[in-house]
Amino acid sequence: MLRRLTPYLFALPLLGFIAVFTYLPIAQSINLSFREWDFLSPTKPFVGLDNYRLLFENRAFWNSLYVTLLFAVISVPLRLVLALLIAQRLLRETVISRVMRGAIFLPSVTSTVAIGVVFSWVFSTDYGMMNGILAGLGVGKVTWLQDPTIALWVLIFVNTWKQLGYDVIIYIAGLQAIPPELYDAAAVDGGAKRHVFRRVTVPLVMPTTYFLLMISVIEAFQVFTIVDVMTQGGPAGATDMLVNMLYRVGFNLFDIGLGSALAVILFVFLIALAFLKSRIIGRKVHYEA
Amino acid sequence: MIAKFKATTAATLLALLGHTAMASAEVTVEFWHSFGGSSGEALAQIIESFEAANPDIKIDAQEIGNYEDIVTKLQAAIPAQRAPDAVIMEVTRYGLFADRGVLKDLTAYVDADPLKDDLYDYAREVGIYEGKNYIVPFNSSTPVLYFNKAIFTEAGLPLDTPLKTYDDLLSAAQQITAKLGESGITGIAAPGQFARWGLIMDNDSDLIDSVSGDILIDAPGTVEAYEFMASLVHEHKVASPDGVTKENNGRDAFLAGKVGMMINSTGNYGSAASSLGDNLAVLPMPCNKVCSVPIGGAGIGILTTSEKEVQDAAYKFISYAASPESNALWFAATGYMPINKKTPQEQVAVTALAEQPGIDVAINQLGFARGRPRPPVVTWMRASEYDLWQAMALGQRDVSEVLSEFAESTRAEAERLKK
Amino acid sequence: MKPENPLLALAALAAGLLFLSPVIYSIWMSFQTVDAYYAGRLDFTLSNYQLAIGQYNFTRYLLNSVLVSGAVTVIGLGVAICAAFAFARFEFRGNNLLFGAVVATLMIPSHITLIPNYLTLAKAGLLDTYAGLILPAIANGFAAFFLRQYIRGIPRALDEAAYMDGASPLVVLWRVIIPLSKPAILSMGLYIFISEWNNYIWPLVAVGREDLYTLQIGLARLYRVNPGEDVINWPLVMAASTITILPVLLGFVFVERHLVRGMMMGAVK
Repeated sequence: MLRRLTPYLFALPLLGFIAVFTYLPIAQSINLSFREWDFLSPTKPFVGLDNYRLLFENRAFWNSLYVTLLFAVISVPLRLVLALLIAQRLLRETVISRVMRGAIFLPSVTSTVAIGVVFSWVFSTDYGMMNGILAGLGVGKVTWLQDPTIALWVLIFVNTWKQLGYDVIIYIAGLQAIPPELYDAAAVDGGAKRHVFRRVTVPLVMPTTYFLLMISVIEAFQVFTIVDVMTQGGPAGATDMLVNMLYRVGFNLFDIGLGSALAVILFVFLIALAFLKSRIIGRKVHYEA
Repeated sequence: MIAKFKATTAATLLALLGHTAMASAEVTVEFWHSFGGSSGEALAQIIESFEAANPDIKIDAQEIGNYEDIVTKLQAAIPAQRAPDAVIMEVTRYGLFADRGVLKDLTAYVDADPLKDDLYDYAREVGIYEGKNYIVPFNSSTPVLYFNKAIFTEAGLPLDTPLKTYDDLLSAAQQITAKLGESGITGIAAPGQFARWGLIMDNDSDLIDSVSGDILIDAPGTVEAYEFMASLVHEHKVASPDGVTKENNGRDAFLAGKVGMMINSTGNYGSAASSLGDNLAVLPMPCNKVCSVPIGGAGIGILTTSEKEVQDAAYKFISYAASPESNALWFAATGYMPINKKTPQEQVAVTALAEQPGIDVAINQLGFARGRPRPPVVTWMRASEYDLWQAMALGQRDVSEVLSEFAESTRAEAERLKK
Repeated sequence: MKPENPLLALAALAAGLLFLSPVIYSIWMSFQTVDAYYAGRLDFTLSNYQLAIGQYNFTRYLLNSVLVSGAVTVIGLGVAICAAFAFARFEFRGNNLLFGAVVATLMIPSHITLIPNYLTLAKAGLLDTYAGLILPAIANGFAAFFLRQYIRGIPRALDEAAYMDGASPLVVLWRVIIPLSKPAILSMGLYIFISEWNNYIWPLVAVGREDLYTLQIGLARLYRVNPGEDVINWPLVMAASTITILPVLLGFVFVERHLVRGMMMGAVK
């Protein structure tokens, strides 16, 4: 009897944690999204789909969705292209490439809050590094984080700077898995370097690209820390990404129903993406074999 | 040796976990407030003398942030049951908490307290919501117009430049920015929310009607006021957008001598006077269409969740904080108005009035000061207004469009909250 | 292949330094006095660090971060290894379903749990405690998923031999599986530790008491409340930021390889 119970006992602690802190909350969020509550009232009246309706009528929601999509559409390709180009040059196991890999990789394991703070200084109007450089070039001050047309670009830049190293490392792993014979074959065919890159490297590293594409899109939909530290969604909502809105609605305006509705929508969207990811990657891996 | 090591480890762990309960008979009142810097020091002084007079009561004072932060943190604390025993609440934002039974009805305490006859009427009124007394005033204010004499002189503006209307403010700000903009000085600080409310009342309008409670966010006078305020930033560029994205930046820049004028609570008098010295001048609020200023500031409330014994101790402190001696000390240090009729006779207050020019400006405009209503929706309205103000001030969205949407959503929220 | 060109190496080094220049400069700035910084003079001082660890309580935050990240790593690894062992070595009813539930957590965005977990811990009275910071972070299936793959690569014959000697499953786990999985466990541990060290949104909602702040919360708040009288005290903020970065930075030099491997493991997600 005990023998049959053994595997359950081993799995139980983790399953318990997951049940309480992951699965139960999903049910709770769905439940709360049909209710109205502000943390203060003793009751949580059922309001049907009201919160979803209010959300879809809410300009801030569409703005957040737009900002998040824009962030994803710009930052994801930027990251992938840069990472592939850099990874190509850091493939060999030399001291130079080790040092460079280290330097590029470092930000991705560094505290996002600290990076947000450091770059808040870099882009601060009066004493910042960027405006210092611009002044050296004889260009006037730019209000990087106070200008709604610029602030999101700054965040994209900082996020790219931080995450690039991760992409590079993954690309290096992907590139190293390509059999060298294929390059040699292409070279024998008389292909120019660019040609080899386009015809051999890019297609063969496609599974890695799909993988990175999916996780960076998912990541883009979950960006919060850098926004909270650097702009808090401002100026004028220009960097109000979805999770930032979720935090604000839930923990500043205390519209728990609306916040939960937003969480549920974000959840459904990301789960759909994740399924897409596993299908596409699954297929790619299949092709390879 | 090992035993000793174990004991030390255990003690360290206990200390780390913060559960070292001190056995003692004294009552501790956890008190959340919003005062840092020199105001914080003045408050600490009041607490110290209260504790000296009441050795069995300890005030555990914690600076939480600004009024908005306190409201946010308090609301989050309710389901977590980690609310304090006493809390500073801004005069328009406590209705929600009174309505939901978070704040204790202090009417019985106040009625039994001789203090009630000593409070000015305007000050007592701020604590009343739906006929009951929920907070006792601590720091009362009206907004005033501060300016920097050195900057005015340098910009070629006489010190008696009229600053009565919107146009007066704009032309003075323009002259300063034109003359001194090169050296990084701007004309006026972007108005904070309290100042915005004041400027709207100056324009013979309001955000919410003080009698009927109607939402007036889209009234023509309000729209006009917001248009003027927003134009200072994005159209005329006489106010720095820094003060729009972060409200305190405007004040900090004024204190640093980088801004010519600032409309802000009289509670900033103390820090402004110590930063700018003789260069500080204080004027009454402008009167664009009418003379009308909002009464702001905060009072202290007590939480229903605290034990009776703690509530009693908390009330003792609240009453003490409003006493003539505390209030005089507070007034002289910060510039917040006297709330106690006996305060002006205190020596500290007499000295302050005689030696600190401009500290009386806020008091003198009490004749046209008005209390503002505080139904539950105001908390939501004020929390939501910040982002919309950014959108208007930075020229991202049309003012009248923003305000008509905002008015509509505020009315809807008010309906929801009534249920 | 050509040998390394020293000029090229120098250029690479310069490029790396340029890439990291904001961080390097911020560390350098943390040794300046605020007056010297604004006046554009040079001045070396440790006062910012004294201020940060003294008046601004960063020693406490550092301790909290170490404690929380350490506990999450140890407990998280513990439950993950046990679960991985169960899923890798036993056939039992619901096996696939339960493992599916574990793997699915990799796809579930953590933000949907934010409000409910706040309420759950509030009800349990665990907000503003170390437990409240630690427990929700354990609910992560990634380590179990990865370790299961790894354990499957260990020849079953080794387990069988131990069972023949009369060992219990617990002993097999302890004596056979764990020693042979050490590299994977180490990399996973680093990965968990660093993720938790940098965690921001959960401590932000779960902790209100200043003495429970982690470094991330302490730093964000120090920057936000702006302790300078009228202009922001950047050197002080940078000292705090350096304290926040430093442990990972130092560790990085020694364990970069493990870290990189941990990250690459992430790629199998």
